[in-house]
Amino acid sequence: MDDFGTALVLTRVLTTGVLMSIEKNDRELPALGRLLRQATGRAYVNLVNSRSAGFHTSLVGQRVGHGDTIDQPDLDARQRAFVEWLGIAVRPGAGLGGRAFGFLAVGPDDVSTLRDRVGSLPPAPALVLDLTGLGFGPAAAVLTDDERAWARGERLTIFGSFDLRTMWTQREADAELVPGVQFNYRLSPLVAACLRIALSPATSRTDAPGAIS
Amino acid sequence: MITDFPDHPMPPVDHGATAGELAALGGDPVIPAGLRRTNFPVVTKEDVFRMLLAVRTSPDKVVGDFAESYRMYVGARHAIPTASGTASLHLALVGAGVRPGDEVIVPAFTFIATAQAVVAAGAVPVFVDIDPSTYCMAPDAAAAAVTERTRAVMPVHVHGLPADVTALRALCARHGLTLVEDASHAHSARYDGAVCGSLGDAAGQSLMADKNLPVGGEGGIAFFATGEAHARATEYLDQHGIDYGMSWVAAAFGAAQLQRLPYYDEIRARNAGELSAALLPTGLFRPPHVPAGSTHAFNMYRVRLDPGAVGLEDLPVHAVTAVVHELLVAEGVPAREWQNTPIPCHLPFRDRGGFGNGYPFSLNPAAVRDHVPQDFPATLAMLESTLVLCRELRSPVEHERLARYAAAFGKVAARPDAIRTLVADGDFPLPYARAARLG
Repeated sequence: MDDFGTALVLTRVLTTGVLMSIEKNDRELPALGRLLRQATGRAYVNLVNSRSAGFHTSLVGQRVGHGDTIDQPDLDARQRAFVEWLGIAVRPGAGLGGRAFGFLAVGPDDVSTLRDRVGSLPPAPALVLDLTGLGFGPAAAVLTDDERAWARGERLTIFGSFDLRTMWTQREADAELVPGVQFNYRLSPLVAACLRIALSPATSRTDAPGAIS
Repeated sequence: MITDFPDHPMPPVDHGATAGELAALGGDPVIPAGLRRTNFPVVTKEDVFRMLLAVRTSPDKVVGDFAESYRMYVGARHAIPTASGTASLHLALVGAGVRPGDEVIVPAFTFIATAQAVVAAGAVPVFVDIDPSTYCMAPDAAAAAVTERTRAVMPVHVHGLPADVTALRALCARHGLTLVEDASHAHSARYDGAVCGSLGDAAGQSLMADKNLPVGGEGGIAFFATGEAHARATEYLDQHGIDYGMSWVAAAFGAAQLQRLPYYDEIRARNAGELSAALLPTGLFRPPHVPAGSTHAFNMYRVRLDPGAVGLEDLPVHAVTAVVHELLVAEGVPAREWQNTPIPCHLPFRDRGGFGNGYPFSLNPAAVRDHVPQDFPATLAMLESTLVLCRELRSPVEHERLARYAAAFGKVAARPDAIRTLVADGDFPLPYARAARLG
């Protein structure tokens, strides 16, 4: 997205949108989630505020935590350090069960081919998209077809969509969904709005930055 | 074009606004429906223009300039801007030297992020009760909780009122502990003239969009008193590959809001002062207590109920509070609970799964308690007898709106007969008997 497009989106959200990221009537985060589902074909999306938050969310979604071991090739030193900080040991091979999560860093030049690039990745139960390269600050998304993995991932974030839906009541009928440690991995609506417009060519190549709802 | 500008101005208070029947019983509400929305944060042309300039500036410079401007405003030595308040608290603890298995003393009444940040640092939160008049950590309770494994004391400047820093500093000095502030409610709050965030060895502060100084959505900032603490936190991020960076979009919005913070501070202080003056004569309502030497930032405004002052001393105070809550909401005052149970009774601290397999609680089992709400009597007394206004005093609300809030409190306080009837007719569980609420 060019500077004018970015400026237009930011102005629009600042003047008429919801800046309060914990508001039930925020439309930016759900809209970005819908777009990413359409663009990748995955059923569920956790939106978070950094790449490492994406890793953490994908692992919590799969009930991988402190003391566990994953098979995960291709982690660089920083990524591996983060996973190990979570108390999770890393075997560098893909293992019999396959890798714990896929990873794709998305930049402006990748948007129009996003679906193809996602489709070409080795299979994994979750895919972490690092959206930081789109230029609006740290941001990531975790894509999965597993509803319960998504639900566990949402509970890792204080003020995740679970908290908003229940008006922040921490009650769980299902013990498997009770959150442990929680971080505030929530993405800002302003950033989400910019990402949505930047990613719009991933679903429709005719969309222009000015096509603002 | 969509607009959030109000459709109609708030009419001035007149006798008719308060003289009729209670709205919950069929009368007209003090604040008419359709005029109840409070816009926050306020967005001006300066916010928009600064954002447009930021589009053409390097992201690191936008974030760095904001952090430096706010650090200077607070008077802290060092700062790290973060993606959230929780992240800032985590870094403050790490910078202060908290290590896995340590104990960190925190108040039982706060937002859950205070305690979760301790867990994020690999430490164990040890919960203590609050002072019954300030709602901040009680220094004597903190002193009683110190053990050989205590590393830090982490008071929260609740709702924007500074904790008893003098007593807590002395406690830390006696035991060789570090003082880590949770200043997430306390933008511009002052203690003996110094701004919260600069009082301890380190501090964390949320800048999310519901705070007195909001960035655009989520954000935070950690402050450090020494270069060593700042370096420890910076190295921790690098060593462990943790991405806690603030978005330039958030920083650009925060930079513009920061310039107007002193104006907003004056507005909140004026509004709080006027509302407090109006509450005192009602008898039923008591305004927040502000000790000498403290400047309350009024991120929230917690009102205490005194049923005995209007002849309702025989009724359960929590039932009176619940009924008054309903009556105020019906009049158009968006009063709320803001927490209904002590934090150690929330699911994550009852279950204590932590990062998985009980880490870090497993590092220090002696510090872990299976708490019940009754372990914190001052917190329970507060939860049973108080209600909160949040953003209602925060933005530069019209004077007419503030006057109507005051009138609504007066209208409800004048009807102990109705309160008594509604209490008798209803079923009111104790606040902490219900599911724990995050906010």
